Amino acid sequence: MPDDVPIIRMGQNLLVTLQGNLEDTTVEQIERAVTREVARTRATGVLVDVNGLSMVDSFVARVIARLVAMVRLLGAQATIVGLQPAVAITLVELGVPMAHVRTALNAEQGMARLRGSHDELVD
Amino acid sequence: MGYGGVGVSAELSYYQQMIDSITEHEVIRLDDKGVVCSWHPGAERLTRYAADEIIGRPLSVFYTEEDMVANRMEQELRTAAELGRCETEGWRVRKDGTRFWATVTLTPIRDGHGTLVGYVKIARDLTERREQLLAAQAVEQMLDAITDYEVIRLDKDGYVRSWSSGARRLKQYTEEEVLGHHMSMFYTEEDARAGLADRELSAAVRDGRFETEGWRMRKDGSRFWANVTLSPIRDETQEVIGFVKVARDLSERREQEQLVQRQRDEILELSTPVIQVWDKVLVLPVIGTLDSLRAARLTEGLLERIALNQAEVVILDISGVPAIDTDVAQHLLKTVEAARLMGSVSILSGVRPETAQAIVHLGIELGNLRSRNSLRDALQLALQIVGAGVAAEREPVNA
Repeated sequence: MPDDVPIIRMGQNLLVTLQGNLEDTTVEQIERAVTREVARTRATGVLVDVNGLSMVDSFVARVIARLVAMVRLLGAQATIVGLQPAVAITLVELGVPMAHVRTALNAEQGMARLRGSHDELVD
Repeated sequence: MGYGGVGVSAELSYYQQMIDSITEHEVIRLDDKGVVCSWHPGAERLTRYAADEIIGRPLSVFYTEEDMVANRMEQELRTAAELGRCETEGWRVRKDGTRFWATVTLTPIRDGHGTLVGYVKIARDLTERREQLLAAQAVEQMLDAITDYEVIRLDKDGYVRSWSSGARRLKQYTEEEVLGHHMSMFYTEEDARAGLADRELSAAVRDGRFETEGWRMRKDGSRFWANVTLSPIRDETQEVIGFVKVARDLSERREQEQLVQRQRDEILELSTPVIQVWDKVLVLPVIGTLDSLRAARLTEGLLERIALNQAEVVILDISGVPAIDTDVAQHLLKTVEAARLMGSVSILSGVRPETAQAIVHLGIELGNLRSRNSLRDALQLALQIVGAGVAAEREPVNA
């Protein structure tokens, strides 16, 4: 992934799309870009769309969990959307700690959840 | 020393020495009546008689009783005299009475006027070679008796060198139709073109044995699923001189395996149905015992349906599961977590009192698992969640 990490601003929320293969260098770029953008826009929610990731292993899973933690530290809420069935099984089997990561089926539902109107029921 | 004719001249002595040096054959002279006139170490070695015991006795002492009764000696001498040569193979008897399988050549000796004065007899012990031959024939017969397997010999380049009844039965070719042909004639067109036969032979040489399964062709063009084993044959210098190929037809077994697999798939499919009961709400009634295969299949099927229907809520109804052990409980919780990672909420339903006790006694971490006693309650909660989602989407409009 080049310097231009695709981050789209939607009102008070940001949509980050992760695609292809994640490597050490791209992960750093993504973390830098996302944290900077959250701080700059004072976003309240970040949607991380992982549907386009070609492979999710424990490394990528930890990257996702880390990104979520950074967003939380900046005072925003993060939600992972678009996780594939095989990926979900892999993550559970690998035992990657994802308990505190919020999830949604798709960007639309993720946005709705970020608005936080039915948190009590969902989490 | 000297057996028989004492050296009249140096030339004769040389001949005698030459004959004395022959140890693998018996080379002796007989008179015109078949009486032994000369002897040498090779003859002694073969029949165990010393020169003084045998010279002057008739050739018939070497014959078996049956052959003597049948006048074989006279017949053979007459044939030799008439045709100039008589070659026979048969049992002969040693001094100690033991038998050996001999090949015997009788040639007449004539004087300057053409008068018969005697015979030269050359004999050799072929007992061992005969046994080897019989053993080889026995092996051949044995291989031929194996009708369920094809057991054939190939040369080092994969050309067919022997054929068997099993091979004939399997591939329908007769011996004449395949001997000298390359083994690739039994392969499918694609396999033959891809040089599969040569690769398999190389693998057999490299690993000392090669076993494979695949499609092979019969003479009539039909295919069968074959199990094939190739083993190299090596000579004393370890050089590969050919291969033994054993093949059998596994078509029937393969079909049965596929049938069983298909049925198993169908049963799994039937036993883990996912039902959409409401927009974005799925119910998975788990019925019967959950083994690891079924459990994995269940999770897979459920997650795929979540992605397909974009289901927000999944109800896992376990009222039809007879017993919950650690493995099953762990698996259900993993399914719940995987569904959550995809963005779906799970509700466990149909937990019976004893099941509740068992799960807690097993010490399984429940996390923030939602659970309801009945499917009805679970469905109510599900609708509440989905309904709340709808309300949430409307909210900004109203606000």
